[in-house]
Amino acid sequence: MEPLTWTGSLGQFLNPVLMITATALVLTAAAQIIAGLFAPAVTLQSNADGSLMARGGAFGAVETALKWAFIATVVTLTAYLAAGLVMPYGRAGIVGAVAKRFLPVFIALIALFAVSMTFKRRLGLYGKLFDSTVGMIGFTLVMFWVFSAIFSGLFDMIATHDPLRPISGLKNKLPGVSVPEEGLYPHYLLGGDNLARDVFSRMVTGSVVVIAIAPLATLFAFMVGITLGLPAGYFGGKLDAFLTFIANLILAFPVILLFYLLVTPEIVATGIPSYMAAVLFVFPLVFTAVLLNSRYATQPAKRTVILVVVLGFFGWLYLSLISQEDTPLRILPAWLDGFDVNSGILVVFVSVVFVNAPTVFRIVRGLSMDIKTRDYVAAAQTRGEGPWYIMLWEILPNARGPLIVDFCLRIGYTTILLGTLGFFGLGLPPESPDWGSTINEGRKLLLIYIHPPLPPALALLTLVLGLNLLADGLREESLRD
Amino acid sequence: MTETYTGPILEIDNLSISFFTRLREIPAVMDFSATIMPGDSLGLVGESGCGKSTVALGVMQDLGVNGRIVGGSIRFKGEELTTMSPDRLRALRGREIAMIYQEPMASLNPAMTVGAQLIEVPMIHEGISKGDAYARALETVADVKLPDPKRILKAYPHQLSGGQQQRIVIAMALMSKPSLLILDEPTTALDVTVEAAVVQLVRDLGRKYGTSMLFISHNLGLVLDTCDRINVMYSGEAVERGSIADVFDDMQHPYTQALFRAIPLPGASKTTRPLKAIPGNFPLPDARPKGCNFGPRCDYFEAGRCDAGPIPMQRITGDDRHLTRCIKFNAIDWNAPVTKAIETAPTAPGKVILRMEDLKKYYDTRGNTAFGGVSQVVKANESLTFDAREAETLAIVGESGCGKSTFAKVLMGLETATSGNITLDEKSISDVPIENRTTQTVADIQMVFQNPFDTLNPSMTVGRQIIRALEVFRIGKSDGERRRRMLDLLDLVKLPRTFADRMPRQLSGGQKQRVGIARAFAGDARIVVADEPVSALDVSVQAAVADLLMDIQARQNTTLLFISHDLSIVRYLADRVLVMYLGHVVELGTTEQVFSPPYHPYTEALLSAVPIADTRVTKRRIVLKGEIPSAMNPPPGCPFQTRCPRKHQVAGDLCERELPPMRTLSDGLQIKCHLPDEEFAAMEPVIQMAGNSVA
Repeated sequence: MEPLTWTGSLGQFLNPVLMITATALVLTAAAQIIAGLFAPAVTLQSNADGSLMARGGAFGAVETALKWAFIATVVTLTAYLAAGLVMPYGRAGIVGAVAKRFLPVFIALIALFAVSMTFKRRLGLYGKLFDSTVGMIGFTLVMFWVFSAIFSGLFDMIATHDPLRPISGLKNKLPGVSVPEEGLYPHYLLGGDNLARDVFSRMVTGSVVVIAIAPLATLFAFMVGITLGLPAGYFGGKLDAFLTFIANLILAFPVILLFYLLVTPEIVATGIPSYMAAVLFVFPLVFTAVLLNSRYATQPAKRTVILVVVLGFFGWLYLSLISQEDTPLRILPAWLDGFDVNSGILVVFVSVVFVNAPTVFRIVRGLSMDIKTRDYVAAAQTRGEGPWYIMLWEILPNARGPLIVDFCLRIGYTTILLGTLGFFGLGLPPESPDWGSTINEGRKLLLIYIHPPLPPALALLTLVLGLNLLADGLREESLRD
Repeated sequence: MTETYTGPILEIDNLSISFFTRLREIPAVMDFSATIMPGDSLGLVGESGCGKSTVALGVMQDLGVNGRIVGGSIRFKGEELTTMSPDRLRALRGREIAMIYQEPMASLNPAMTVGAQLIEVPMIHEGISKGDAYARALETVADVKLPDPKRILKAYPHQLSGGQQQRIVIAMALMSKPSLLILDEPTTALDVTVEAAVVQLVRDLGRKYGTSMLFISHNLGLVLDTCDRINVMYSGEAVERGSIADVFDDMQHPYTQALFRAIPLPGASKTTRPLKAIPGNFPLPDARPKGCNFGPRCDYFEAGRCDAGPIPMQRITGDDRHLTRCIKFNAIDWNAPVTKAIETAPTAPGKVILRMEDLKKYYDTRGNTAFGGVSQVVKANESLTFDAREAETLAIVGESGCGKSTFAKVLMGLETATSGNITLDEKSISDVPIENRTTQTVADIQMVFQNPFDTLNPSMTVGRQIIRALEVFRIGKSDGERRRRMLDLLDLVKLPRTFADRMPRQLSGGQKQRVGIARAFAGDARIVVADEPVSALDVSVQAAVADLLMDIQARQNTTLLFISHDLSIVRYLADRVLVMYLGHVVELGTTEQVFSPPYHPYTEALLSAVPIADTRVTKRRIVLKGEIPSAMNPPPGCPFQTRCPRKHQVAGDLCERELPPMRTLSDGLQIKCHLPDEEFAAMEPVIQMAGNSVA
């Protein structure tokens, strides 16, 4: 097979178009900035037909031109993808082939948007997200990677090759190189890395690791932060002073050193990481138990049934999680131990919780100090509610706005933290395709070959950017009412 | 803008203002006209959401990005404001037109001294030197009657009290001697006695400087006290305008009439002449009815005529620029007597169920004792002694900081008393915190809160919140039973049953307050502490909620402890009144006794301070000096001696040395005062009504 070029036959026509539109975009943007310095202030004008006109004259013309140049550029870029989808394989170059591989993701995105837009008025805060352009862009970027992870992780669809298998002769080959072995996908779309593995497939498979771990680890950090932050803010006093001091202590501890300590064999041998995991993972259990107990305490019969069922299941999950072979914590017998988690992932979880929980703690503490002065909290107190009911059912639901926003941002930090951990060779196994590890490997030959680390770096960038934009959109929309 | 300009200061013609959202245009003000002559003051009255503040913002040309004037004109001294350039506007604002907002703290920059904020006004607008500006600031601060202007100018806003801050805001507005002063609810955040002083100040200054005023308020009494002309607004439209005398005594619009019937004026009483609430709800700006906006709530509504099309303002012949937006104003008999609601027999108070004996609550604010700070004691409640009977309404009156909220907390068991005793049904509960009280005791004493927007948990449905109270009080055996009981409670507070599944944000303020009442009565409470339950509501809703409380009380023989600073509503619904000042009970007696002489000097000042929307009423003006002292550092002797206007009538320095004893005068009226008996006997009523005294 011939190696693929970037745009294939499509480029002959589309590349000049893109050049023109991009140049127009840059020029009009520059013109707008310059004109903006001299333009008169905005005055609103009403037209006879009831419409509104904000500006006119030269400045208005520049603004309009910029708008159209932007639209033209976006249309051209979309044309590369769209043409790639319909043209036969190879004709539309690498861009077209990549677009074709991501086809299921695009279909899923379009379906999701169609459904969400149709019912957006009934979907609460999620529906309101579709009123904010920034939020929609962020949501699209995030969901793109979520769907990529789902399709490649569960259905093995998007990746072209086995991310771990080298193919001889393709070491450090440039994007579009053709694969010599028969019966495989004919090209390495984004080239090969220094172990002759497919960069594209590794990027796609890496998303599974990131999407599976980052939100879950952040969720644990939130559980810990919330379970400690609520009483600190609600009761105040000595408890608050003590917990805040601990939080400050942890925040002041050098994080990277902590990560190294967690994987040092001597430390692992003492069982400290396992004990830390045991302590940290108990928080969600406590949280759920208190949540349900305070809610149903007035109906003891119902409470007991619910607690036994839920805590039984969560307890089993918890024990399976913490009991490991070769560690001091071997609680469950093997036949009951539902699953074993790679010790590296456990380290990731512990570090993420350790780094994030103090900050979440401080946010929750501040919010609960504010909300506890509300009259509905006083009303709960005067009807004799216990403190945990008030904290979990009166205060926490009303603190959810800022917490959801922070959750999105924090998934972004965690994704970067995963990258950082991978970069130092901590946490996940060395051949793991996660983005941080891949970037780290590519770094070594960066001066000669930039194509292996670039795709995972861009993937990390788009996901974190998407999460930040999503958080912005959510914040904007949640402040609106 | 010449100094010799004699035409109207402000002319608003057919002004329409809309706000634009992504979905649609929402008209906020429609077809609004007003004229203010030099030295005149115009009152703009209406309920929240009626567009009165939007008019003010329209005059300031400060409508934000979404708001826009869609029709009509605003002329200031003959100059059109709607098409004015931003530079010209900037020169006008602050110099020619000044505005005073509701929250004084929000109008002052907390990081600058008061002096720096004041002197920059004339420095920017008139370009005068810093020295001259400082001299003028001193003069203006003295004008707003603040003591020690030099010290005040060096102070930061947070070092001043709310009343002092509002005076500084007024001083700032007056620094450049504006021609027009816009006051947007300037006293709503202040206490009654402080409000009275600020209102008098505004009126005096207006006269002194000849400033025209646009006074925005929801309080008809305040407008009567301060303005020459009035403009009543309803749902974005002016419904009636004219001189104070014409509108107050010869109203020509059903809404104005309904408004007056909904406020407790002297003479109204819950048994003989109950208030008449306006039925229905305020229409949302995007769901206004066709034709007359007030139509659906109007007693005189005539289908086919009132809802046919837009209704113009119509001039009433004979009166001075008196206009009404009512098609039928000629057909309505405005002097017809109020159709009497069913007279309810007064419920006889039963046995004593709650007794307070010498209750004291001190807080220890330990200001860092570990590092040599001084431990200070806040005496929030000092020797409260009173009892409450079954089925009676006991009003607890006092301004902020008088200790009424602390008392409520102690009664509810959220705090325990420092000393003294509370007995409920002969059982002492003063030392029992709420977690140790029996479910029955907790259900017996419940509370209705002040702020309707804060009283319900925003993330739980209305029904769920009531059911939760039922669960806690162990009422009902199953979920279904509790749900039925919850629906019954919604019926009790006259809310539709469909509200059970709504979220609180979908309810109006009055509806939320009703849910709060339903929740308080969930466990058949026998004592309900109502902490200013209607003060945050609109006038037309106040009456309905107050009547609802009374109604449930009468049906269930509840004891109502009604905490309020509003003496009008207290007179209307209380059986007995307890006046508190700085933690002390200063007067206690039946409503009749408290509202007629002899008074405690503080009660006398309170009565004089309450604005009354009735032109027939004449009041003796008693304006208190200064502010309420801090409970951390109460004055020696009588708590009221620092502000008491009758202190000179007591011989020697008795007031400063000794706390007066609680004296029982005729018929059980108790007053804590050193005044000699002959002074009490010589007291005259504060409020006189067309010759005969009513209070």
